[in-house]
Amino acid sequence: MYPVVLKDVEFGYNGEEVLKDITFKIDEGEFVAVMGPNGSGKTTLLKLILGLLKPKKGKIAVFGVDPSRDKDKIQNFIGFMPQKEHISSKFPILVKDVVLLGRLARKGIVSTINEEDMERAKEALKAVGLEDLWEKRFNELSEGQKQRVLLARALAVEPRILLLDEPFNGVDIPSQNKIIELMEDLTKKGTTVIMVVHNINPLLHHIHKVILLNRRLIAFGEVSEVLKAEKMIETYGASIPIIVCEEGFAHPLFGDTHG
Amino acid sequence: MIRSIIGIFLIAVNASIAGSFTVFRNVSFLVAGASHSALAGAALVILLETYNIVYINPLFGGILFAVLLALSAGYASQDEGINTAIGISFAMSMSLAILFISMIREYAARVWGLLIGDLLLLTNDDLILMFISTIIVVSIVLLFYRSFLFISFDIEGAMAFGINASLLNYLLLAIIAISVVVLLKGVGAILVFAMLVAPAAAANEVAKKVRDVFIISFFIALFSGFFGLFISFFFEVSPGAIASLTATSIYFFAIITKKYIH
Repeated sequence: MYPVVLKDVEFGYNGEEVLKDITFKIDEGEFVAVMGPNGSGKTTLLKLILGLLKPKKGKIAVFGVDPSRDKDKIQNFIGFMPQKEHISSKFPILVKDVVLLGRLARKGIVSTINEEDMERAKEALKAVGLEDLWEKRFNELSEGQKQRVLLARALAVEPRILLLDEPFNGVDIPSQNKIIELMEDLTKKGTTVIMVVHNINPLLHHIHKVILLNRRLIAFGEVSEVLKAEKMIETYGASIPIIVCEEGFAHPLFGDTHG
Repeated sequence: MIRSIIGIFLIAVNASIAGSFTVFRNVSFLVAGASHSALAGAALVILLETYNIVYINPLFGGILFAVLLALSAGYASQDEGINTAIGISFAMSMSLAILFISMIREYAARVWGLLIGDLLLLTNDDLILMFISTIIVVSIVLLFYRSFLFISFDIEGAMAFGINASLLNYLLLAIIAISVVVLLKGVGAILVFAMLVAPAAAANEVAKKVRDVFIISFFIALFSGFFGLFISFFFEVSPGAIASLTATSIYFFAIITKKYIH
């Protein structure tokens, strides 16, 4: 059974079309990057998979379950890391509390922290390399550390599918690399990872597939099939130079566009 | 005197719990909106009383209007920012308050009394209502504490992890509105903002963890209330005003202390 299947999905807000003709299947253990310009529907796509939004048309299945109909069931499969800009740091919440939030949310309103929760949370924090920050205040961390803690929160629920929305925003290169290494390890163990990014270059050598999105599916497939000049023009409305590295991967040169 | 002391204690509990979540959720403006909305609700009850239609404590009307404002602001904030929604609701409820006051005439002084408040004029009925409201607020927060924390920290993430963030957001706004009404008779609609938000805001500046914010804000509110009462024994001044001045001064002191230490 495929972890994520979308067929002819359409979605809109207030009569405005946001996504159309979205059809793809993601296999278990695949590491997939989602790319597109601002407003192309990348975050909307993640929310549709999470069941937070209901498609106007088409079908979505997460391990065979319709997420908009059975949100409770699919949330047992999925860990989510939202964009950092939506996080409030206005109060002195500790790193351990942030990491535990996800597990406690899953357990229900009247639930207590048990030993297993603490263990999984510590393991998740260790996996992102921040086990020493357990008692530290979240708002005292660097941006990169905050992202890794939010990732630990998603990992602590032991997801089969991990959705990450722009995890590299404001994040330094070492933290980025740690996150990418971790994603690769997870996919080797069978976790499916779907990551929305603006710059795909740090990921290129690690991902299996790419989705190009601009309110509709421009392309979906392996990196070599998708990252082509004509597809990039269709996605971004501008010519983005692509160079091939020594290992044979096609790297789009963002920041050097000819409109 | 005993009533004032009990009133201050109940105010401190609400300032701690609802005040802290007001700061965490960043909806301080809701407190101002809800207090003026409560004024409109109380004015309506007094108006209906003059026509012998109802005979209930005006604070019931206050609770109804304050909660309605909170819920409608929560609903409107899905498209607009929450502060815009509160601002518009604020203007509407003040207009209603003035309208009802103009229709009450000879009993308008009762409504103006709610605008300014007086810790020394709390009745047994007021205390009973304040006590029941406080029990409701405390019970709901104890039950949904982690969920409220989650939606305050990351509402999108909360939804993704299975929390009914929309419903809980409404619930949190509603209990903040109820807390506003608990403070209304004691400190008045104008100063509710100071007494509910300043202790928690001050505590948030200095606390090392979330639990400390609740504890510190409780003691700041308690101290401010008793200090106001104490001063009012020696000088003919409003105890609520002194309490609010104390709470807001502590906030600025906390900010300066924190900056100086860093």
